[in-house]
Amino acid sequence: MAEQPASSRDEFLTLPISIPPLPSFPVPTTHHIYLRRNAKVLTRDDKRSLFLVNVPVDSSEPHLRSLFTSLVGAGKFESVTFESEAKAAKSSIEPAQALRLASHQKKRKREEEEEAQRIKDEVAAEMPSTWTRPLHRSGGSAVVLLADERSVEIVLKAVKKLHKSKQYPVWGEGVGDKAPALGSTWLKAHNKLVYPGNAAMQAVVDAFFTVYNRKEAEAERLARELRNEPDEDGFVIVTRGGRVAPARMDEAEEAKKKMLERQEKRKDETQNFYRWQLREKKKAEQAAFLKGFEEDKNKLRAMREKRRKVQPDT
Amino acid sequence: MDNSSAKRRKLSSGPFVPIGTSSTPAASAFADATEELLLDVQQDYARPFEGVDDILRQFKTTIEALEPQEPAVISDATKKFEKANDIRIPYPNPRPGKDSPYKLAFTRPAQVNVVGSYVTKTMIRTQAAHAIDMIVVMPADLFQDKDFRDLRYFYKRSFYLARICAGLKKELKDAMELSFQYLHGNELLPVLVAQPAKASRKFAIRVIPCAPENLFPTSRLWPISSSVRRNGNNPNEAQAPTPFYNATLKAESLYQPYLRLLTTVGKTCPGFKDACILGRVWLQKRGFGSDLSQGGFGSFEFAVLVALLLSSGGRKGEPLLAKSLGSSQILKGTIQYLANTNFQKKPAVFGTYPSDPDAMRQDGPVLYDAMRNLNILWKMAPWSANLLQQFAKWSLAGLKDNSMDQFDPLFIIKVHDKSQIYDLQANVDLPLATQTFHSQDCHGRTWNFSEKLYHILKKALGERISLISIYMPKADGWAVSAVPSVAQPGKVSVGIIYEPTSAFRRMDLGPEAEQKKEAVKYQEFWGEKSELRRFQDGSIRECIEWAKDSTANIPKQIIRYIVQLHFGLDEQSVSLYGAEANISPADTHYFEAAKESFRTLEHDLRELQDLPLHINQIAGIGPELRYASLRLPTADKYVQPIEVVISFEASGKWTDNLAANQRLKIAFLLKIGQSLEDSKEEIRTHLGLDQAEHDTHNLAFLDVVYDGGFAFRLRVRSDAEEKQLEMQTRNKQLDRHAQTEAATSLAIIRRSYTNLPLHTQTVSSWCTRLPSLSAAIRFTKQWFASHKLASHINEELIELMVLQAFLKPFPWRTPTSAFTGFLRTMHLISRWDWPEEPLVVDHSDSITTDERSAIFARFKESRKSDPRFNRIVLFVADSHDTTGTTYTRNGPSRVVANQMIKLARSVCELVRANGDLKLLFQPSLKHYDVVITLNPKALKSIIREHGASKQSQYKNLLGERSHAVVLPLAETPVNVLLRQLRTQYATVLVFFHGGQDDQMITALWNPEMDQRTRKVEMPTSFRPTENGDTLVVDRTSILAEIARIGGDMIEKIKVKSAT
Repeated sequence: MAEQPASSRDEFLTLPISIPPLPSFPVPTTHHIYLRRNAKVLTRDDKRSLFLVNVPVDSSEPHLRSLFTSLVGAGKFESVTFESEAKAAKSSIEPAQALRLASHQKKRKREEEEEAQRIKDEVAAEMPSTWTRPLHRSGGSAVVLLADERSVEIVLKAVKKLHKSKQYPVWGEGVGDKAPALGSTWLKAHNKLVYPGNAAMQAVVDAFFTVYNRKEAEAERLARELRNEPDEDGFVIVTRGGRVAPARMDEAEEAKKKMLERQEKRKDETQNFYRWQLREKKKAEQAAFLKGFEEDKNKLRAMREKRRKVQPDT
Repeated sequence: MDNSSAKRRKLSSGPFVPIGTSSTPAASAFADATEELLLDVQQDYARPFEGVDDILRQFKTTIEALEPQEPAVISDATKKFEKANDIRIPYPNPRPGKDSPYKLAFTRPAQVNVVGSYVTKTMIRTQAAHAIDMIVVMPADLFQDKDFRDLRYFYKRSFYLARICAGLKKELKDAMELSFQYLHGNELLPVLVAQPAKASRKFAIRVIPCAPENLFPTSRLWPISSSVRRNGNNPNEAQAPTPFYNATLKAESLYQPYLRLLTTVGKTCPGFKDACILGRVWLQKRGFGSDLSQGGFGSFEFAVLVALLLSSGGRKGEPLLAKSLGSSQILKGTIQYLANTNFQKKPAVFGTYPSDPDAMRQDGPVLYDAMRNLNILWKMAPWSANLLQQFAKWSLAGLKDNSMDQFDPLFIIKVHDKSQIYDLQANVDLPLATQTFHSQDCHGRTWNFSEKLYHILKKALGERISLISIYMPKADGWAVSAVPSVAQPGKVSVGIIYEPTSAFRRMDLGPEAEQKKEAVKYQEFWGEKSELRRFQDGSIRECIEWAKDSTANIPKQIIRYIVQLHFGLDEQSVSLYGAEANISPADTHYFEAAKESFRTLEHDLRELQDLPLHINQIAGIGPELRYASLRLPTADKYVQPIEVVISFEASGKWTDNLAANQRLKIAFLLKIGQSLEDSKEEIRTHLGLDQAEHDTHNLAFLDVVYDGGFAFRLRVRSDAEEKQLEMQTRNKQLDRHAQTEAATSLAIIRRSYTNLPLHTQTVSSWCTRLPSLSAAIRFTKQWFASHKLASHINEELIELMVLQAFLKPFPWRTPTSAFTGFLRTMHLISRWDWPEEPLVVDHSDSITTDERSAIFARFKESRKSDPRFNRIVLFVADSHDTTGTTYTRNGPSRVVANQMIKLARSVCELVRANGDLKLLFQPSLKHYDVVITLNPKALKSIIREHGASKQSQYKNLLGERSHAVVLPLAETPVNVLLRQLRTQYATVLVFFHGGQDDQMITALWNPEMDQRTRKVEMPTSFRPTENGDTLVVDRTSILAEIARIGGDMIEKIKVKSAT
């Protein structure tokens, strides 16, 4: 709010936005976005970014761009990262072997060219999106990157001024066709995007496995190298497998299972052999019987309680 | 049991050991529970009956002191008496003629005595009315030998009663209210009822005049003797036997012998008294009583039966039940006896045969007490005897089922709930008084009408029904000065249980035309409906074809027609009660078509040669493939494809990375798609993307569309995936979050790849075994949908609940129609105390006792760890899945579960009161905070649009295919929208929607989400308030957002006005 001290870095400013009414919900509304400087300054970019909380569910880059344009004029807004995009950390697609070994090995410097190819491959391997315009969680946050540090000041000032003039920016004004429409067109498009086409999907999968196979090969090579290479302290890492190749994880699992089975079998054979075993068994049965009886008693008690409680059908 | 063949008889007459008498823990728990019940129902004799003994003594002295009266001719005596006292003598119909020569007199009674449950102390608290029976034994010298004939005895009895009444009236003044009543609705036996004038005292004393022992010789009153001759004009008919009249008369002199019998047995058998009380409860819950309108089998008859079973009944006269048995065992034995004996087919005789076995032969049920020469079931009609046997059978089935809680169905649940018992109820007005139903016997007009109705309906409905039962109206008492209303205006109600396989058959076949006599009879019975037809096999027969009518199913049509035809009643006088579902059991062929098409797919898939792995199993998991989808499966291109799971042989080719395996699956699907398209001309395949939150979840499916046929949605099951997730859940090195996530993923995978195929198989095989299950499931789903619960409750959960209602129908029988199945499910739900008990559906009979206790332990554990039901609300285990959470993991929440129970209860109440069935499917929108009305046109346009995608861009995308490609429907638009809304507003709004055809989405605000001060990490949209730092949920802007998201799909958003 306007009277909040703006000097403190952590204080949020309130940015009211007027929402034009729709025929299905003809109520003029004001939405409130809360914004402040980005508190986490890790990179250079962070200094010229703003942290927004409670962005509207249907926000998109064009929406925010036009919002900031209406606040401080064109050319200040650079890009926006929504909470969901930032969070969407992909699971690693490294083969398990590679993951295990990664901690033991220093990163090898890659050729720049090679790196670029890798990135290109990985982009090609990404699953296509099924939405023309993804929605964002209600109350979610976003980080807006502005042109420079000065723009941040200008925006904050403009927001403060807003409370005096009461001329709130209008949501979606000037967006026009830049953001894909919601409603039925949005769902129609979604249904089409769900089916990207078999050929296109084949390409995606192929790209993925190009990346994956390369990583796997690298990991294997690495494992082989590590078998004979002492580390800084002079230790050699023990890796699974025979002399020829390291074992696969699932093979090891299989072997363990077999061993357990064998143990189980041996146990079975030695049961019911001695008299004390039979005696123990009988005792256990008796105990189980008594326990069952007790349980029934408890159940009965519970039933009684319940009947007091419900007393149905009388 | 059918005792007809010699061999069978030999087998069945072995030692008669009541089930459940072994000393298993379950049996002892049952005995404990019955003891508890006995304490519960025990009548407190001290307080409510305070002073009753004094009143009874006063009665006795008054009656014994009455002045004798010299014999006088009946008409004179009547006139004189009625003039002197303001009492009308309650003569039975027909009243004695004016010129009747016999004389009436009054002398002091031979004995005045109190009998019945008050003396034996077998009353129960929940009895509708507590009556104390006082018998007045009339002296033998009042009667002549011939008085057994032509109601003479009853005229004298009525006069005697009137005299007593006059005497008591004089003595008691206004302390007691006196009225007449028919004893057990028997019009021959008026009795005097005295009730305390103060309304607070709730007991009644019935003064019952009766005959001294051995008043008339037994030989006169055999069931086949004819004692009423005056009615008939026809000399032949005059010989018709009058078993009811005879038994009434016989029973008049047997009060004391039976009292003696009960006392002696009670003395020798310690469990007898309690068994009688249990029997009374058992009968009461089933609506049986001594009254004719209650079936004519009450606690007295039950007690006598038990007494007889304890003293004789075996083939050599040995007792069937041992006197050393406990009360609950005696009850079980008696129920077993009732279940196994068909009293109508073959008379059951206790004691030595009377001289001539034919002497007992009669139409109704017979349980003959040869010692006292009385058919104990003389008050029972054929239908009530039948019903009693069925009740006993159903109870027995429940008792044999050990896994069930045996106790509740036997004693607690109100079994006598017509809507739960019967598939169809009919109410038929009694015809006008002028219409008589001629009968020699003295049952009364209502009975005669009911009997005729019973026989006609039974004949007309034939194989379509398995049980028909009739309820007569209860006769009321009347003031001593008034005339008993001759024809009680009222309705006879009929209950019918279908035979599901043949109930809706359209054709009724009659006799062949050559059989002239039968053909004529058939025509007479059916009237103009019957017609002659030639059939394919060359025969010419009488037959009737019933029309398909959406407002009345065929049994309804038949009842209406035949009742109107035979009784000349008009349309209004027959009212039928039973839901007319647009879901009919005949819809099966749609499902058959879907299954057939699925088999084609399976065949086509197995034919593929070039797949890298061998296909292990192809399992359908969609509800369409188990006869359970609400919407009939059609080959329409605008519906979502049917879900199928493919699993391949175990292989080492899967990678050890979850995300990579998901891609491998896509590669598999693409390969399958390619091969299918290559091998079959009519197949198109489309790879579609799942809405996966994470790329280790299943990413894609393959829609296989048969040209002009069904579409299927294939997903691949990978055993490697399951193994890896399992390893992750056990991996202690992983952090907690990752572990729970793995556990969740594993549960999801197990559900769709392991449980659902088994579930589909189970439900589908039960649907073929139980003919009305499929329709009942769909009916229930419709109900869930119309109350907007469908989006919170898994279809599988609904199916399991209905299945449970079918498999454990106790204390009723397996439902025989969709509507009954639905009501039983509602009954099951309404009694489900979900916070305290899990639902265990053992549909394969494979859950052992150990597993069962393991399930209970798991249930207790989950309740302990989550006492506020935040994670697990309903706990449902079945034979395939003992985790109990497979189908309830993603709903319903506590709010929804309670709502479901509440709605189910109101359904039970509505139907019990025979309310309007249209209300069943009318949701109440009042309590929702937000109602979003959707625009059906816009929604339809989404569905149509994708089907008609002829745009060139698609041609490009799909390459060489030149003609327009029809994309399948990924998901219904409303569901997509709903899911989006749910994701974005998970914390603040709970949405309700009822499935495909529902045009409303409703929502409730989360009351816990209200105010906060922190601005970071907001769970939802908040707005600042006037006063300082607090923020409140910005409801208006949230709704405005929803309006923007929905765009043209949303017609209107309505908010509940603040009250």
